[in-house]
Amino acid sequence: MITQKALPRRTFLRGMGSAAIALPFLDAMSPAMAATTKSPVRMAFFYVPNGMIMDGWNPSYEGKFQELPRALKPLEPFKEDILQLGNLTHNTGRALLDGAGDHGRCSGSYLTGVQVKKSLVDIKASVSFDQLVANEIGKQTRFPSLELGMEDARQAGDCDSGYACAYTNNLAWRSETQPVPPILDPRALFERLFGKGLPMTPEERLRQSKYRRSILDFVTDDTHKLESTLGPTDKRKLDEYLSSIREVERQIDRAEKDNAQIDPHMDKPYGIPADFAEHFRMMSNMMAIAFQADQTRIVTFLMTHEGSSRPYRELGIPDGHHPLTHHRNQPDLMEKVRQINTYHVQQFASFVEKMKSTKEGDGTLLDNCMLVYGAGLSDPNTHLHEDLPTILVGKGGGYFKTGRRVIARRETPMCNLFLTMMDRMGVPTENFGDSTGKLEGLDLA
Amino acid sequence: MKSKAQSAATTILKAGSAALLTLGTLVYAGPATTKAPAVDAAGFDKTVKPVLKNNCSGCHNPGMMSGGVNLLPYADASTLSTDREAWDKIVQKIESGEMPPKGMPRPPQAQIATLVTFLKGEFAKADAAVRPDPGRVTARRMNRNEYRNTIRDLLAVDFRAERDFPTDDSGYGFDNIGDILTISPVLMEKYLNAAEVIASRAMGADPLPKKALEIAYELKTKNIRRLDFSTVEASHRVDFDGEYTVRFGFPGERAPDAKPVKMGFWMDGQLLQTIEVETKPSKLVYFNPFSDAEIRTYLPEGDHVFRAGFIDDEFIKTITDPKVAYSDKKNKFIGSMTFVGPYASKVEKASRKKILICDVKTGGQACVEKIVANLAHHAYRRPVSKPEVAALMKFVAMAKAQGQSTEQGIQLALEAMLVSPEFLFRVEKDPNPTDPEKVHRVSDLELASRLSYFLWSSMPDDELLGLAEAGKLKDAAVLDAQVKRMMTDKKAAAFAENFAGQWLEIRNLDSIRPDPQKFPAWTPELKEAMRTETSMFFQHVLSENRPLSDFINARYTFLNQELATYYGIKDVKGPDFRRVDLTTDQRGGVLSQGSVLAVSSYPSRTSPTIRGKYILNNILGTPPPPPPPDVPALDDSKIGSDVSLRKQLEAHRSNPVCASCHSKMDVLGFGLENYDAIGKWRTMDGKFPIDVGGTMPSGKSFQTAAEMRTILMDNLPQVSRCMVEKIMTYALGRGMQNFDNKTIDDINKKLQGDGYHFQTLIYEVVRSLPFQSRRGELVTTNKDLKTPVAKTKEIAQK
Repeated sequence: MITQKALPRRTFLRGMGSAAIALPFLDAMSPAMAATTKSPVRMAFFYVPNGMIMDGWNPSYEGKFQELPRALKPLEPFKEDILQLGNLTHNTGRALLDGAGDHGRCSGSYLTGVQVKKSLVDIKASVSFDQLVANEIGKQTRFPSLELGMEDARQAGDCDSGYACAYTNNLAWRSETQPVPPILDPRALFERLFGKGLPMTPEERLRQSKYRRSILDFVTDDTHKLESTLGPTDKRKLDEYLSSIREVERQIDRAEKDNAQIDPHMDKPYGIPADFAEHFRMMSNMMAIAFQADQTRIVTFLMTHEGSSRPYRELGIPDGHHPLTHHRNQPDLMEKVRQINTYHVQQFASFVEKMKSTKEGDGTLLDNCMLVYGAGLSDPNTHLHEDLPTILVGKGGGYFKTGRRVIARRETPMCNLFLTMMDRMGVPTENFGDSTGKLEGLDLA
Repeated sequence: MKSKAQSAATTILKAGSAALLTLGTLVYAGPATTKAPAVDAAGFDKTVKPVLKNNCSGCHNPGMMSGGVNLLPYADASTLSTDREAWDKIVQKIESGEMPPKGMPRPPQAQIATLVTFLKGEFAKADAAVRPDPGRVTARRMNRNEYRNTIRDLLAVDFRAERDFPTDDSGYGFDNIGDILTISPVLMEKYLNAAEVIASRAMGADPLPKKALEIAYELKTKNIRRLDFSTVEASHRVDFDGEYTVRFGFPGERAPDAKPVKMGFWMDGQLLQTIEVETKPSKLVYFNPFSDAEIRTYLPEGDHVFRAGFIDDEFIKTITDPKVAYSDKKNKFIGSMTFVGPYASKVEKASRKKILICDVKTGGQACVEKIVANLAHHAYRRPVSKPEVAALMKFVAMAKAQGQSTEQGIQLALEAMLVSPEFLFRVEKDPNPTDPEKVHRVSDLELASRLSYFLWSSMPDDELLGLAEAGKLKDAAVLDAQVKRMMTDKKAAAFAENFAGQWLEIRNLDSIRPDPQKFPAWTPELKEAMRTETSMFFQHVLSENRPLSDFINARYTFLNQELATYYGIKDVKGPDFRRVDLTTDQRGGVLSQGSVLAVSSYPSRTSPTIRGKYILNNILGTPPPPPPPDVPALDDSKIGSDVSLRKQLEAHRSNPVCASCHSKMDVLGFGLENYDAIGKWRTMDGKFPIDVGGTMPSGKSFQTAAEMRTILMDNLPQVSRCMVEKIMTYALGRGMQNFDNKTIDDINKKLQGDGYHFQTLIYEVVRSLPFQSRRGELVTTNKDLKTPVAKTKEIAQK
């Protein structure tokens, strides 16, 4: 091997990306944060599919945490940072005359709060609440939001009883008809956050944004010319194109203002690792850096798709996750599902640990976060949409009184929690989806 | 806890939404039908009305609105034509046995059959009278495969779109449906980046590094994978298009009289070169026995998987002990792979030849304009106007103003074209975009693109584009000749990959995960062999114009040694695939191919239900309805060791609601039980003997998989209709509607008359009205009658 000096600059970020890394110190790298006295609040959603075995999730008590239930055990060291929320419900995940397809529906409604249209092509949901927040505050960071995932989209076939795969492949929706696909490949995420491995000189960067702006102007003109002879549906397609163009333009603006290049102190990942835990570690690591460097304040993380049939061989479980969850109360099947539930939380706990061990201001990064971890179904065997497993980790900027379990009134809309979170994100809103008011009683007051 | 909360919610819903509900929403049925045939009101009153009255309206009346449905208005025969969609639903519910539900009085089966036959007859009558409607296709964004192929054909650059772009969503089973292909800011950003990378690679504008780089993959640093005793693999990123020297290190030596072996070098599964490697002791002096060899080859930029392996090495076949295989006294094996480069290639890049059609240095501005116009012409798949070229030339000027070269300017103009909607979308223009009555033939240029994306998943080539520009595609003979040429072109492999890959779900081979404990035979090589078998088989049926019945029961298939051995077929030697005649009835047709059997199984075992559903969906075109609400999808994951799978599933069918569909699915699925979850032939499942036999709903019984195939052959008209429907969907990029039934049936009749030859199907699809025409769009305001029902406050506060 010749030395790195002789390597052209485009190759220097090569590597397998397998070495464990700690978060780099980034204090000096986030001018946006240095300017404000108070650290911004960040929020993230971690979605796990196919519900939970609820006896392993819900403790038998209300109030201050005592012994944590089995699925939450991996979070034991952080239990003082957790709020466990009982009885949150997504009514819009229920059939409501639309028949089978609880998996497609609960995933589609999870962040959108609406009953999605049962269709294989003519998809329709609503703007998800993370995107609403991103529309408001996203301009303050380089990326209004990040969408991450772990499982490749199913390539062929119907995803759930007449629901398009778009509902289960995505959590975030930019508009009624535009889901935002998650990034699955650690390498793609790396390149998005830290560049293609082509560090450019300031002049080159300037030239690139000049060129890109001209190209975007040019294609915008082209699109307007095309639109004159089109019907409404075709126009809608081109409008999606135009709105994406505008978003990319805004990104160029932001990138020009924020010239600091982040050095992630990690090798560029090669691709998607076969190992689930390793894949999660890479993705969540970069997510932590993005939060720390205030590159974004909003992340949605789709651990695997609703209805996922991934086997968990790392736990000695060769059966698919989804078929297992239709356990019909058979103890051996339920036990396997409990193991999977715990395993997922264990991954999440490794991320929480990273956030907790990263200093920010006088406290930790975790203190300024709202990390929601949960599922779109409670009991998967019969597809229940009430008492959805939900925990909120982090104090949301010193607001939440954590370390306890709070049980809301029965059938309290999940969207009420969203309203509370929107408040914390600085986007107070009257209602969202089927909300009936903010979720009260979570704060220190 | 569950029941109370749920029933409360349901009650509210009924009350809240009753007013909104009818069975069907208002759907446009195409241009006005020519005089609709009279509905047989007397027949309706005799066969349908009594059932509605006695068996349905007890619950589905305005008072009860069970399931939100009131059937009272449908007691009038005229609704057969005014609300066909509702009737389609009613027939489906009755026919599937879902309605009347268990526990409610049911008319005798014969009466149900009469009713269904009558209604279907009325529908057929109505469909036949519908004036042909071409429908309309939404502007289509290229999907990942189309993008990659188009870039290849436009610029001779291999860009792996599937690695860079997010997965395209699919609808109706295919990922080229205009309505569902959306665009997001992330994708837009990817398009911009891709355009930059592709334009730069195409122009070869990036200078190569002054000094060659050397990157080694070796056993001792563990960055090389061992696939078997004489095959290794490494994932390597090639940073520049160019020539490279690849050096191989071979530790060890064989006996002094050992013969040389042939070594192959593959990139992404494609054999690039072979060389001969001496295995007897070399005369060279090393500390340990060692030799090396090198090749020089052109490698394209990108992430690749490189493999080196000995081919047909008789010596290694005699070795089973790894200690012997990796003993440098007894064997010679591949120990390292080193890439040295890039070196400037002596040959001009194919992409530059495509772009630089005149000499920029001597040709001046006129030449640059010619180059840009030619690029836009191909990228937009149509002639371009002077103002359009002028707009693109501004990029050349802009680059020059920045101190860049003319070539870099052309590169920038190309970058702009690759992001333009004219390139990324296939937009078809409408003279009357909002008048559904106005049907028009698509332009020859639009037709050329329809054709090339249908058969090649790529842009039209010069011949096709030229004919379109000359207006010659209107000539049916010219169009047929193009179809013939395109079907047999090697680019038609894209049709096998994309159409067959989705129709037969072969693409899912990459996402299934058979349990390695139970199925140690499942290897990447076996998986690829299965994929190749089905792909070659499909291409053969197409290019040789074989009848569609070959898909059900061909007496041949395509195998290499590995797959033949796996199937228990002797005398197929070597890694190359070839046509093999089948001499026993164990296999025949796609339903006995490993790929299909593997993608329709669970990770740890077979599922007759999934396989049965697979046949109903993909072969017979009669997908079972989704399970009714509140009945979880029949799950057969608990297959104990004390009862056979068959017994367990039979127990499940004791519920008549489940049985109505499962009896259909499971019979077909059990017919394939002789093939295990990765398609291997078996006669026992654990300790239970396999029982394949079954009786079809038609009453015909079978005892073996081969007999089941024979019965499926009796249903050839139905199988063929399913194919027509799937191919139409794929070709048009939209789902089939009621008004398409006529076209589908017409094509199917022609096929029947012709002996079901595959090429006939392709010709007929291309000749059909929907493929050649479109109409304006009906603008509806009440497209979404059924809005999500918001929950009221009372509920949440209870």
